[in-house]
Amino acid sequence: MKSGRLLLAISIISRIGVVTILCALALLTHYHNLKTAYNHPRLVELSSGKTARFLYQSSDDFLSLFGDPQQVARKSGGMTWSIRLAGIPFTDPVAALSVLAKNRRWELGFALGLIVPLSLAFIFGRVFCSYICPASLLFFSISRLRKLLSPIFFFPDLKINRGFSWGILVGGLSLAVWYSHGIWILILPYFAIGQTIYAGIASGTLSIALGSLVLFCSLDLFLGKQFTCRYVCPTGRLLGFIGRKSPITIQRDSSACLDSCQSCIDVCPMKVQPKYDQSIDCSICGECLTVCPPQCLSIGLRKKNKPFTTPVAHSKSSA
Amino acid sequence: MSEKPSPEKSSGLSRKRFIGSFVFGLGATLLLPLIEKLPISAQVKLKRFLRPPGAQSEALFLQNCIACGQCANVCPNQCISLYGLEAGLENLGTPRITARAQACILCMACTQVCPTDALEKLEPTKEGKRAVQMGVAVLSEDLCYSFAGRTCGVCYRACPLPGEAMTIGLFEQPHVHAEHCVGCGLCEQACVKMPQAIRIIPRLELENAAKSQTEIS
Repeated sequence: MKSGRLLLAISIISRIGVVTILCALALLTHYHNLKTAYNHPRLVELSSGKTARFLYQSSDDFLSLFGDPQQVARKSGGMTWSIRLAGIPFTDPVAALSVLAKNRRWELGFALGLIVPLSLAFIFGRVFCSYICPASLLFFSISRLRKLLSPIFFFPDLKINRGFSWGILVGGLSLAVWYSHGIWILILPYFAIGQTIYAGIASGTLSIALGSLVLFCSLDLFLGKQFTCRYVCPTGRLLGFIGRKSPITIQRDSSACLDSCQSCIDVCPMKVQPKYDQSIDCSICGECLTVCPPQCLSIGLRKKNKPFTTPVAHSKSSA
Repeated sequence: MSEKPSPEKSSGLSRKRFIGSFVFGLGATLLLPLIEKLPISAQVKLKRFLRPPGAQSEALFLQNCIACGQCANVCPNQCISLYGLEAGLENLGTPRITARAQACILCMACTQVCPTDALEKLEPTKEGKRAVQMGVAVLSEDLCYSFAGRTCGVCYRACPLPGEAMTIGLFEQPHVHAEHCVGCGLCEQACVKMPQAIRIIPRLELENAAKSQTEIS
């Protein structure tokens, strides 16, 4: 119970941190501009007001800790799609696939940016989804809203096949080849949210990406709990596929598990079935740990035991 | 154990379901280009735009650009903005510069941060500036003050490559040398005339014109 709550808290805090970083990066656009144009807080205040002066001054002071503020500021930038933090590039695996499909080659820096996301996926599975993805924070709050309103309204919880998001991945790749890579703004929820934040803060406009965000939110609200994360987002599917044999995942103590209990299956936002030792697509969000009555679930090293099967039930279901 | 454990393994039914959902997802995504038909994007298709410095030919640029927005983010001049749907789906999220509103100062910060080499890496030196090909300035003598007998010369003073891309004659009459002009648009932004007497013809239009010329000949 406790560890599950802790994981949930960490995931929420880290995603809020990611959103804060995105907002800060968008604000950097103004900082670059003010720094080049005025390079003095008083002039900034005269031209853009007190708030601008405060933001300018504080970011100037913060960046000065690491050296020449302008040079330091240039080391970070970008959105969720491709981002540089303190000079380290991070590349979205879907962006890499898209470039590969269209261009058949990678730049070195671009390819190096894949190291961290891919190794995270290899070791922990889909942790991106519940610890980094800013869109999943939105969908998480919608799932809480569903829970809150469930006594009043009926919210369906659809289950469809995973093939759907593979289809979206292939469709997106072909559209990227046909049009350009910008098409992903409309397909990937976290890219849409990055674009919305950037457009809102840096240029003060509404992005078309807001439209697709509204669509995803309504899918989540009216079709199923975290429907977008589960069945729509191609990145989540890809990361889940990469991390399907991740060494760190959810573990079940089968001796303590109750036969009649289904609570972990019901609560899982990714429709993982920890009860049946099935952990593909697990994003280690900790929801199941909070509900398991005998506390037989834990996060740990994947055991080498065979997946849970009941031959009789299985033959029945496939007939 | 009333529930079936993992129904999605090694049965023909689940494979059929997988393929069905796959096709459904593929089809749903391929419907996306219909968004161009929506009234929200039914504005005039803007084609007169400049790409940031370091951009190669339009086709190559679109092939490389992943619409990450890092160039717009780092631009200290705030001249780079990102496209919405106003220029069609293929330009979504890609950078553009509107020279009359805010021209490029050729600081080359954007070329340094581009992760995919859609913008070739250039230095903010004279050599780096000469390598830029964003378009070509074209002067309309009918509109220009200097050609109407009033000396102006503002565009010449704004030019980052004075003496090469632009020279100045009698009554400060500007002369653009197309082979040296990089198309940064500073002259267009500086022009005191409304509408501007000097304009940048973007590289895309030059390419299209060259293409249609070869088709005719």
